[in-house]
Amino acid sequence: MGETLLEVRDLKVHFDTPDGVVKAVDGVSFTVERGETLGVVGESGSGKSVTFLTAMGLINRKSAHVEGEILFQGRDLLQLPTDELRKIRGNYMGMVFQDPMTSLHPMYRVGDQIVEAIRAHEDVDKDKAMEQAIEMLDTVGIQQPDERARQYPHEYSGGMRQRAMIAMALSLNPHLLIADEPTTALDVTVQAQILELMDRLKSEFNVGVVLVTHDLGVVADVAQKVMVMYAGRQAELGPASKVFEQPLHPYTWGLLESIPHVDTKGTRLVPIEGSPPSLIHVPPGCAFHPRCPHRFEPCDKEVPDLKDRGGDHPDACHLSIEAKRTKWAEREARRRKATA
Amino acid sequence: MRKRRLPLVALVLAVALFAAACGGSDNDNDEGTSGTGEGQTGGTLRVETDGFGWSNAFDPTGEYWGVAWSYYRNLLTRTLVTYRNTVGAPGNEVVPDLATDLGQVSDDGKTYTFTLKDGIKFGPPVSREITSKDIEYAFRRIATKSLVAQYAAYYTGTIEGLEVGAMPDHISGIETPDDKTIVFHLTKDTPDFLFRLAMPAAGPIPEEVGKCFTKPGEYGRYLISSGPYMIEGSKDLDISSCDSMKPLEGFNPDDHLYVERNPDYDPATDSKEDRANYFDEMTIDLNTNPKDIWNKIQAGELDAYTGSGTPPPDILKRYSTDSDLKDNLKVSPEDRTWYLTMNLGVAPFDDIHVRKAANLVMDKDSLRRAWGGEIAGDIATHLEPPSMTGGTPTAEEYDPYPSDNFAGDVDAAKEEMKQSKYDTDHDGMCDAPECKGVLTINRNVPPWTDMEPIVQQSLAKIGIEVDIREQTPDAAYTTIQTPAKNIPLGMNPGWGKDYSDPDTFVGFLFDGRNIAATGNYNYSLVGLTADKAKEVNFSPASGVNLGDIPSVDSDIDKCLDTAGDARNECWIALDKHLSEDVVPWVPYLWANVVTIISDAVTSWDYDQASGTTAWSKLAVDPSLQK
Amino acid sequence: MARYIARRLLWVVLVIFLITLITYFIFFKLPPTDPAVRFAGKAPTPEVIEEVKKSFGLDKPFYVQYGLFVKHLFLGDQYGWPGFGFSFNTRSPIKEVLFDRAFVTMQLALGAAVFWLVLGIPIGIISALKRGTKIDRAVMGFALFGVSAPVFWLGLMALFIFWQKLHIIPGSGYVPFSESPAGWFGHMLLPWIVLSLLFAAFYARMVRGTMIETLSEDYIRTARAKGLPERTVIRKHALRSSLTPVVTMFGMDFGTLLGGAIITESVFNLPGLGTYALRSAVEGDLPVILAVVTFAALAVTLLNLVVDITYAYLDPRVRYS
Repeated sequence: MGETLLEVRDLKVHFDTPDGVVKAVDGVSFTVERGETLGVVGESGSGKSVTFLTAMGLINRKSAHVEGEILFQGRDLLQLPTDELRKIRGNYMGMVFQDPMTSLHPMYRVGDQIVEAIRAHEDVDKDKAMEQAIEMLDTVGIQQPDERARQYPHEYSGGMRQRAMIAMALSLNPHLLIADEPTTALDVTVQAQILELMDRLKSEFNVGVVLVTHDLGVVADVAQKVMVMYAGRQAELGPASKVFEQPLHPYTWGLLESIPHVDTKGTRLVPIEGSPPSLIHVPPGCAFHPRCPHRFEPCDKEVPDLKDRGGDHPDACHLSIEAKRTKWAEREARRRKATA
Repeated sequence: MRKRRLPLVALVLAVALFAAACGGSDNDNDEGTSGTGEGQTGGTLRVETDGFGWSNAFDPTGEYWGVAWSYYRNLLTRTLVTYRNTVGAPGNEVVPDLATDLGQVSDDGKTYTFTLKDGIKFGPPVSREITSKDIEYAFRRIATKSLVAQYAAYYTGTIEGLEVGAMPDHISGIETPDDKTIVFHLTKDTPDFLFRLAMPAAGPIPEEVGKCFTKPGEYGRYLISSGPYMIEGSKDLDISSCDSMKPLEGFNPDDHLYVERNPDYDPATDSKEDRANYFDEMTIDLNTNPKDIWNKIQAGELDAYTGSGTPPPDILKRYSTDSDLKDNLKVSPEDRTWYLTMNLGVAPFDDIHVRKAANLVMDKDSLRRAWGGEIAGDIATHLEPPSMTGGTPTAEEYDPYPSDNFAGDVDAAKEEMKQSKYDTDHDGMCDAPECKGVLTINRNVPPWTDMEPIVQQSLAKIGIEVDIREQTPDAAYTTIQTPAKNIPLGMNPGWGKDYSDPDTFVGFLFDGRNIAATGNYNYSLVGLTADKAKEVNFSPASGVNLGDIPSVDSDIDKCLDTAGDARNECWIALDKHLSEDVVPWVPYLWANVVTIISDAVTSWDYDQASGTTAWSKLAVDPSLQK
Repeated sequence: MARYIARRLLWVVLVIFLITLITYFIFFKLPPTDPAVRFAGKAPTPEVIEEVKKSFGLDKPFYVQYGLFVKHLFLGDQYGWPGFGFSFNTRSPIKEVLFDRAFVTMQLALGAAVFWLVLGIPIGIISALKRGTKIDRAVMGFALFGVSAPVFWLGLMALFIFWQKLHIIPGSGYVPFSESPAGWFGHMLLPWIVLSLLFAAFYARMVRGTMIETLSEDYIRTARAKGLPERTVIRKHALRSSLTPVVTMFGMDFGTLLGGAIITESVFNLPGLGTYALRSAVEGDLPVILAVVTFAALAVTLLNLVVDITYAYLDPRVRYS
C-alpha cells in the first residue's frame, strides 16, 4: 500500500506492581501503512491499548519497563526526548479514546478544546484556529458547527462527542489516527456512523488508522489488516480478508463465534470458556492453552512465536496447518448446523 | 449645729486595722509605703482588663461596678465628700472633697449643709465653676425612673421628697440657696449619710450635657469630668446642641477607656495626699486573653491590671518567692466575706444545733487552701470583715467556733449535733433522712469546685451528706435568691460592702423585711414571718416551724439610729448575735485583692473604699517601661 | 440566573429568620438567669429590675420582642439601618461596633485565607505530583500536624516563642492599618499564620486528593494526547477540575470565619466578632449575641450563594434555572 507510518518491533511493556511484574505487552511487532486501517482485537487486558498508549507516550515511563522499538516514520519514539514526542503527539499522531463522555474536559467549550490542540502545534491566532476547529466539526458531520463549538461537552450526545473527539484528533492533519475502542460506549446505530465516518476520513485525509477494539465484528467492515492479541502477545496478524476467511488461532475462532451475525440469526452465541489470565502469572507455554479446547502436548510448555506456520498469514499456534483447517471447518459446520 | 463625728474609725484604730489587714498573711509587702513616697510625675500608665463589667455603661447615676467606682473616685468624678484612696482603715475614712468640710449637721441629725470650695470646675468642654445646682441635678437624675439609678434606695426615703419617678424639677429635701451652698433635709437621723454622699451617683453632672441623655447608661460615653483627669477627646465634644454630641473617642465601653489630665482641675482645691495625680495619661484596654495580660505585666510591656481577676498560681508563686519580684506583688484586704449560707427555713438547717455543728466542723483552713492559701485572705470567724467595724474583732479576738488551725473541731461539733432533733440517737451524727442528700448549690468554676470535697468531707463527719449541684455563677445566685426553691445550702455566695458601714453588710443582708420572691439577698431567710413567707411563695416542709426563725430587724434599726462609736459597738454586737444565736452562715474567708505590677510603677496604693487599685496614687517611670 | 438568585435570596431571608428565632428563643426565653438582673447592679430591688427590663424591652411578651427585633433588622431602628439595637453592657448601639469588629475579623480571615491558599494549594499539588516520594510524605506529615495541633496551643506557643523569647513579633492586640501599617502587619502576622495552618493543612490534603483523582481522568489523557505541554495539562486541565471543590470549601470556610474566629481572636486579643460573641455570651449581653449570630448567618448563607453562583461559572455542567 503506501508508506510505512508506524513500525513496532518486539515491544515489551512491563509494569512493576506490589503483586509482581505485569507483562502487559510481551513482544509485539507490526506495521501500519498510510491509507490503511489496522484492526487490533482482543479481550480487555490483552495489551492492545497499552501498546498504543506506549506509542503515544501516554504511559507512566517511571513505573514501566519498555523494551523494543516504536518507529514512527523512521524515528524511534521510545528514544525521543519528551518534548520531541509531545510535538509528534497530536500533530502527527492523533488519538481517540473509548469513552467520549469522560474524554473531553467537562469545563471547557468543545471548540476551545480543539483550538487548544491546534495552537499547541501551529502558530495561529485564536480566531483562525477556531475557524479550523469549526471546519473540522463540520467535516465530522456535526450540524451547525459554529454554534456547537461554543457548547460544552455535556450539551453533546455521546455520538457527537465522539465525532468531536475525532475532529480534535484530526484537526492537525495527523498521519496516523489511533482509535482506542471508539465505539464501545455508543449505541449500535451511532457505532456504525462513527465507523463509517472514520473510514471516510481515512480516505479523505489519507491517514493510517489503528482501530483498537474487543469486537471483531467492528473491524470486519473497515479494517484492511487485523491483529489479534491475547495476554500481551499476538495470536495472529494478517490481512482482514484472510483472517476472517481462514482464521488460524483457536482464540480467533472463539472471538468469531462470539460475534452475532446477521446470517446466523438465532444461533446461540458461543462464549469463550474461562477468563483472561492474570498478566502477572501468565500460563506457561501458549498463554491461551488453559482455555483452548484443542490444546495438546507442547502447548503448556513451549511459547509459540508469531510466525508463518504454513497458513497465508502469521499466527502463534502450535497446531499444524492441517489441523487448523480441519478444526475450524468442523466448528463452522457445527455452528451452521445449529443455526439450521 | 454640731460637727458630726464620723461613725467609723478613730485614727488610733486605723493603725491596728492596718496591721490586721496585712498581718494575716506572711508576705511582708508593705502596701502602704509605696503610696506614701513621692512618685515621678508624667508618663502613661498602661493598664489592661480582661472584661469591663459595667452594670450601667459607666453612667455614674446607675453604675454599680466597684472597679468603675475606682475610676470615678481616683480620676474623673469628685463628690462633696470622698475617700483618701489608700489602703486599710484610712482608706475607708470620709474626707471633704468638693465641700470645704464634712458638712454642718443639725442637732437632730436631719439637716446637712455643705459649702463648695472655690475654684472647682468641670473639665472641658464645659469648663465652668461647679455649683450646688450641678449636685442637685445629679440627685434629680437619681430620682428619674427611666435612668435606673441602681442604688437609689440609699437616697429614697432618706432625703426628703426624693422619690423615683419622672424627673423632678426640684427635690424638696435639697436646697441650693446659692451656687456655693447645698442643704440636704433628711427624713430621719442617718448617721452614715456621708458615706452615701461619697457614692459616685452623687457627683456633680452639668445639666446642659446630662439633659441630652435620657436612657440608662447613655451618659457614660459623654461623662464630663470634675476630677483631676478627663476622658480623652473631651475637648472635642461639641455641646452646642444635643445632636452635635458624639461619643468621646477616649471611651468605648467595649474596648478601652483612656484618660488624660483635666486642664480645668486645680490641685489647690484637692489634697495631694489623697489624689497624687502623678501620670499624665492612663490607658485601659480590653484584652480578651487574661494570661496575655499577666504575661505582659511580667514582661514590663504593661504596668497594671484592672478588673476582677487574679494572677494565675504559677505567677503568684514566682512573685511571692522571687525577692526581685516581691515588691511587684500587691496583696490588699478587700472588705468582703466568702461564706456558705444555710437556710433557716429548710431542714436540717432549721435546727440551730445543726448550723452550729456545721460551723464547728468545717475545715476552713482547707477551704482557704482551695483559694490559694494565705495569700487569698484571712480566715473568717464571724460575719463581717473586721475592717467594717473599726478593725475589730479580728479572727484572733473573736471566734465563736474555734478549732486548731481552723481545721474544724469534730468533737465539739458532735457535742452540738447531739442536741439536735435530727440526731435521734444522740451520738453526734445526724441520722434523720433530712441529712441525706442535702441539696447544695455551687458555682461551676474554681476555686468553688475545689471546695466541694472539703465541704463534703467536713459535713460527713457529723452525718450530713450533701448533694452538690454546680451552676454558672449567675445561675447559682439566681437559684439561691429564689426562696421558693427551698435550697438548704449554698456554697457560692460572697458579699462585699458598698461603703464601710455595716448598713451595707449585715444591716442589709439580714433584714427580714427585705426578703423578696426573686433577687432575695437574705438567702438564710433570717426574720422570715408567716406573712412574708406567703408573699414570697415560700412553703416550708412539714416539721419546719417558721415561728422558730429569729429576727434581727429591731437590732438593725437600733444600730441604724445610733451614731459614732456606739454605732460601731452596736454593729459588732449584732455580728456576734448573728454568729452565735442565729448562725445563718459558715463564713470562711475575708478575701484579699491580689495583683501584680511592672517595675515601671514607682508608686502604688490600694483604694480600700473601692476595693481595687488606687489609680490616683500610681506613678510610672517611663524609662523603665518596655 | 436572576430568578435563581432571587429565589436563593429569599431562602437566605428565611434562614436568617429561622436562625434568629431559634437564637432568640434560646437566649431570651430559656436562660436560667434573668438578663436584666445582671445589668441592674449588685443588689437590685424589684423596682430597679423592672425598670431595667423596661429599658431593655424585656417587659414585652416574647412574640412582640421578637417581632420588634425582626422589624428593626429589616426596617432599621433609632440608630439607623440595619437595626441591631443596643448592647445591654454598653448601652450603646451595636451596629457600629459590630461592623468595626466584623472589619477586624475580615482582615484576620482574609489574611489567613491568603496564607492558607498560598500554602495549602501548591503543597497539595506538589504532593500529588510527587506522590509517594519523600517530599509527599514530608508534606503530608506537616498536614497531619497542622490538622491535629489545636489553635489555642499553637497560638500560645507562637506568642511565647516569637514574642516573649525572640522578641521579633510585637505581641498580641490589634493596631489599625491607618495607624501604623507596620504595626498592623506585625500584629496580624501570627494570627494569620496560626489560623491559616489548620486550614492550609486541610486544603493541602484536599487538593492532593482531588488532584490525584483528576490526574487519572480520561480528559487529562486526552489533553496529553493532544500534545499539550505537561505544564498546560496540569495548570489548565487538572487544576481547573481539582480546584472546583476547593472553591466550595473555601466559600463555606471563609463564611464561617467571617462569623468570628473565637479562639484565634481570644488568644491574640483581636477585637473581632468571635471575642465579641464570646464575651457577650459570658456577660448575658443578649442583643449582641443575636446581632453576631445574625451577621454570621448572613455571612455564611450569602457566601454559600456566592459559591453556588461561582460554581456555575466554574463548572458549566452546573446551571441554575
